[in-house]
Amino acid sequence: MYGLGIIKGLGVTLKHLVETYVDDFRWGVRRYTTDDGFVARQSTDTRGIFTVQYPEEKLAVPERFRYIPFLVVYDDDHPDHPGEIWCTSCGICTKVCPPQCIWIMRGKHPETGRPIPDPEYFYIDIDICMNCGLCAEYCPFDAIKMDHDYEIASYDRTTAHIFDKAKLSKPLSYWQKIAPSRALEEHLARETK
Amino acid sequence: MTMTPDDYSDLNNPDIPIPDELKSNIAITTLDRIYNWSRARSVWPLLFGLACCAIEMIATAASRYDPARFGMEVMRPSPRQCDLMIVSGTVTKKMVPQIVRLYNQMAEPRYVLAMGACASGGGPFKEGYNVVDGIDKFIPVDVYVPGCPPTPQALLHGFITLHKKIEGQSIMSVPWYKKGQSEAIPVPVLGPDLIDPRQGELIQAASEGEYSAQFETDENA
Repeated sequence: MYGLGIIKGLGVTLKHLVETYVDDFRWGVRRYTTDDGFVARQSTDTRGIFTVQYPEEKLAVPERFRYIPFLVVYDDDHPDHPGEIWCTSCGICTKVCPPQCIWIMRGKHPETGRPIPDPEYFYIDIDICMNCGLCAEYCPFDAIKMDHDYEIASYDRTTAHIFDKAKLSKPLSYWQKIAPSRALEEHLARETK
Repeated sequence: MTMTPDDYSDLNNPDIPIPDELKSNIAITTLDRIYNWSRARSVWPLLFGLACCAIEMIATAASRYDPARFGMEVMRPSPRQCDLMIVSGTVTKKMVPQIVRLYNQMAEPRYVLAMGACASGGGPFKEGYNVVDGIDKFIPVDVYVPGCPPTPQALLHGFITLHKKIEGQSIMSVPWYKKGQSEAIPVPVLGPDLIDPRQGELIQAASEGEYSAQFETDENA
């Protein structure tokens, strides 16, 4: 019979419409006002269509979500190395970066002039970065990770969108917060080494 | 965007005191604020997409993220009727003349939002033979949204950033109320190809010669 597909498709749309209101009746105002309602709307079991009221409420990003990379540093209250950067300026990330958006310079000891495992400067042009995550995959020291912060639109590219070392550095506790299971995995792997 | 009490208080001029009993009835504002407030909440984008970023732009325009909350749901298919050009995706050298022409045809005030890595700085195609490394080499860009591609929420953040810029402008200094016509941006012309495939053998010979010459000097050194 002709037209069956159209009717089926319309049925799907109608189902979405009905389910939206069914969920609204089930939850009532709580769906939009309470934290439980927000979690329920975010879950995969939610039915119906709803709008993400973006600036007021944000979709929870998955742990594997990746945006711009950041450099891991020890927290300021770390007993042995407070605020020390993990990066050893080996430069593997710059070599694997497909769009070549990372610039890095190995630091030198101020007295002897010998190279030290600490980058003198570290720049990422986030308007070139294609969020592939290869730098984080290849880093042998787990020192570069993919961030979840996507609210970085700005008015000027040259001043605001070329991130330097200070802007890229984020504490380890931040990484443990945004990706708890991966941070634990990496921690265990380092312990057993 | 739903108006919160904060937005209204921002619209009111705080310098002039209003008696408490009249606060719900009287709003005192400046011309700049009401002008920018209405402008920022009715920015109509131009309906065009260039590459994969356009898919995210379409997702943003759908009901899930609903730019109608910002008064931005009307994607106009004509440059005469829109205020915002979302350069969503890779700008090839062949596409630049059309984009500049569309920009020239847009009525002022007009804004440009470079969406994604390719439109902002060339992205993975920078220094490519057929891709422009950043649309800001040709037309002035107001907001850069990084990401490859930016998620719908990142693009919405870009919209909000643009709204903030619009709200910061003053009717006294905006260029479109100045005397005289605004200059049109000259439409770039697509030049000859960097590589002519018909000269393939010559190019190969030349590059091989260059390579071997370089190799020799390296060896000697």
